[in-house]
Amino acid sequence: MNDYKVLATVGEGAHGIVLKARHIVSGDLVALKKVTLKKISEDGIPVQVIREIKALQCLEHENVVYLIDVFPQGLSFVMVFEFMPSNLWEILDSYKLSGGQAKCYMKMILRGLEYLHSHHIMHRDLKPANLLIADNKTLKIGDFGLCRLYFKDEKTAYSHQVATRWYRAPELLYGARYYDETVDIWSAGAIFAEMLKGSPVFPGENDIDQLYLVISSLGTPNEDTWPGHSELPDYNKISFSKMCPVPLETLVPSDVPGCSDFLRKFLIYDSNKRLSAKNALKDQFFDMSPLTCSIQELPSNPPPKQNYFRGFDSSCSEDNAGGLSASTSECSSTSTITLKEDVTRR
Amino acid sequence: MFATSTQKSHWIFSDEETLIKIREDTNKFYVDRFRPPDVEDIGDFFLTATEERSLLHFYEYQLKDFCMKFQPPMSKAVIGTAFSYFKRFFLYNSVMDYHPKEILVTCVYLACKIEEFNVTIAQFVANVRGDRVKAQEIILNNELLLMSAVKFHLTVHNPYRPVEGFLIDLKTRHPILEAENLRPYIDEFLDKVLMTDVPLMYAPAQIALASVLEAARKCREHLDVYVTSILITDEEMLQSVVDAIRTIRLMVRVKNYEPPSRDTVKALEKKLEKCRNQENNPDSTIYKTRMMEELLEEDERTQQDYSTTLAEQRMHFARLIMESKH
Repeated sequence: MNDYKVLATVGEGAHGIVLKARHIVSGDLVALKKVTLKKISEDGIPVQVIREIKALQCLEHENVVYLIDVFPQGLSFVMVFEFMPSNLWEILDSYKLSGGQAKCYMKMILRGLEYLHSHHIMHRDLKPANLLIADNKTLKIGDFGLCRLYFKDEKTAYSHQVATRWYRAPELLYGARYYDETVDIWSAGAIFAEMLKGSPVFPGENDIDQLYLVISSLGTPNEDTWPGHSELPDYNKISFSKMCPVPLETLVPSDVPGCSDFLRKFLIYDSNKRLSAKNALKDQFFDMSPLTCSIQELPSNPPPKQNYFRGFDSSCSEDNAGGLSASTSECSSTSTITLKEDVTRR
Repeated sequence: MFATSTQKSHWIFSDEETLIKIREDTNKFYVDRFRPPDVEDIGDFFLTATEERSLLHFYEYQLKDFCMKFQPPMSKAVIGTAFSYFKRFFLYNSVMDYHPKEILVTCVYLACKIEEFNVTIAQFVANVRGDRVKAQEIILNNELLLMSAVKFHLTVHNPYRPVEGFLIDLKTRHPILEAENLRPYIDEFLDKVLMTDVPLMYAPAQIALASVLEAARKCREHLDVYVTSILITDEEMLQSVVDAIRTIRLMVRVKNYEPPSRDTVKALEKKLEKCRNQENNPDSTIYKTRMMEELLEEDERTQQDYSTTLAEQRMHFARLIMESKH
């Protein structure tokens, strides 16, 4: 800790605070994520924290945030990251992006994802606030608090309490315990759509509302569009009246040619049909006009705001804490009631 | 990937001499730190590096026993990782500083988390004999200590996965050989490896290959051709792998499998009770006061507090040495 000079507190996360500091020897700016162990769960150091360290230690990619060091401090320990002055949430809050700029961000997201997925790591919590922006405007995927190793051929049950609601894949909304890296692809699609549209595409107010928004946009799923959906744990707990799909052109109005076709390969029920990050990068969409802008043409980082590090460590924020299990798995009756209210409200 | 891992860069040592040297330094560092300045002849008050090894050997058996009896049963990877943490921890920490029986359970607990073998602390301590509340406290208090002692290098590459790879490969290329018949001998060999310094010296794939070849020898199968003409064709690399495998086999064979006798362990434990760092002994008053302080205060203890406890301990040790002479 003596190697760093703390400059400011920049945020507060689920497990502790985030400080902006300077590494005294090199003069580099860093973000110190302090994980306090005093208040933590009775099982000791949270397994999420351990996963984050474990994953980050083996990752090094231009579009993935870099973990410089980890050291203990009293009853806490500190993770040292390169300092990232902004994030995509802030950029979207301040600017309306051009097609070329949106493509440029999307490519960086996809490159980061391609790298993660090639290392069998799924992030599970992609959202604009977790996509950090460096001084040189490079986008880096951050906050690995919810990441998880996955195994293609193994049937391992994972928690469905992942991903911030607006960007959560539909199978997670229905409580799926077996899923794979394609949940990140859904999130990437939802984020790209938001970049084009200028506002979130599925801004659900709660998990039922979230599901309603997705289904009313993509239409009621059937065995063709979504094989196996009716077997998902929470499927029978909620039912909506039959809905027809809304064309993506209406959902995400944009003058960028080909964007609806491109998005359709991300925002699709059947996770097997979702594009892989690798193939997405090769998609002809990126060859169409407007071409991907250069990194210099991206908007400059907006001036710091009070809460501007919001996204750095909000892994277990209230968004995830409640979740569908609270309302459905434990007491299905309540959820049906919530649902009815919801539907009537509309 | 092992090639780019912290295991390769920090925890693989070239030979046994290097390991012995590190352990002697660790032992010496402890003795120098706590040697009472005004007592000239300290006799054999402190444990020697060899005695520390002997105790650790005994506790490695305890560690294995604990893992084998653990409910629900744990995967081999958890056991291998726990052993690696245990070995790494006591490379740079003296037995007199931290009691192996406390570090042992913490190693297993942390290994469970790393290997995604998810058990709650309650489930975990149900496997501990004796005072479970105390065990839980010790584990949780030591978790961070252990993580920093292994330099936050949490990922451990074990030989178990490479073994599966070799078996698949053998099944494809040597269908005549019943590869599955090798398995019990492989397991036996790898179990022995855990009791040695081999994991601190060789790559997991080399250990795996050594186990496969040893198993083949026991089944009277010949895999030399498989190794020399299929697996490794580069002459130079072949020589280094052959050397590595020879040493691994030798180390596993030479190692004395019997744990030290009860009497030896008893005597060593008795000696350890006297010379151990009371600050890290959960039953001591110093430890209890310190834990209270740490809980109450966010800040770390000042250098001054540290010197006070050190002086206190040296005096305490001086008293014990004098007593033993009368």
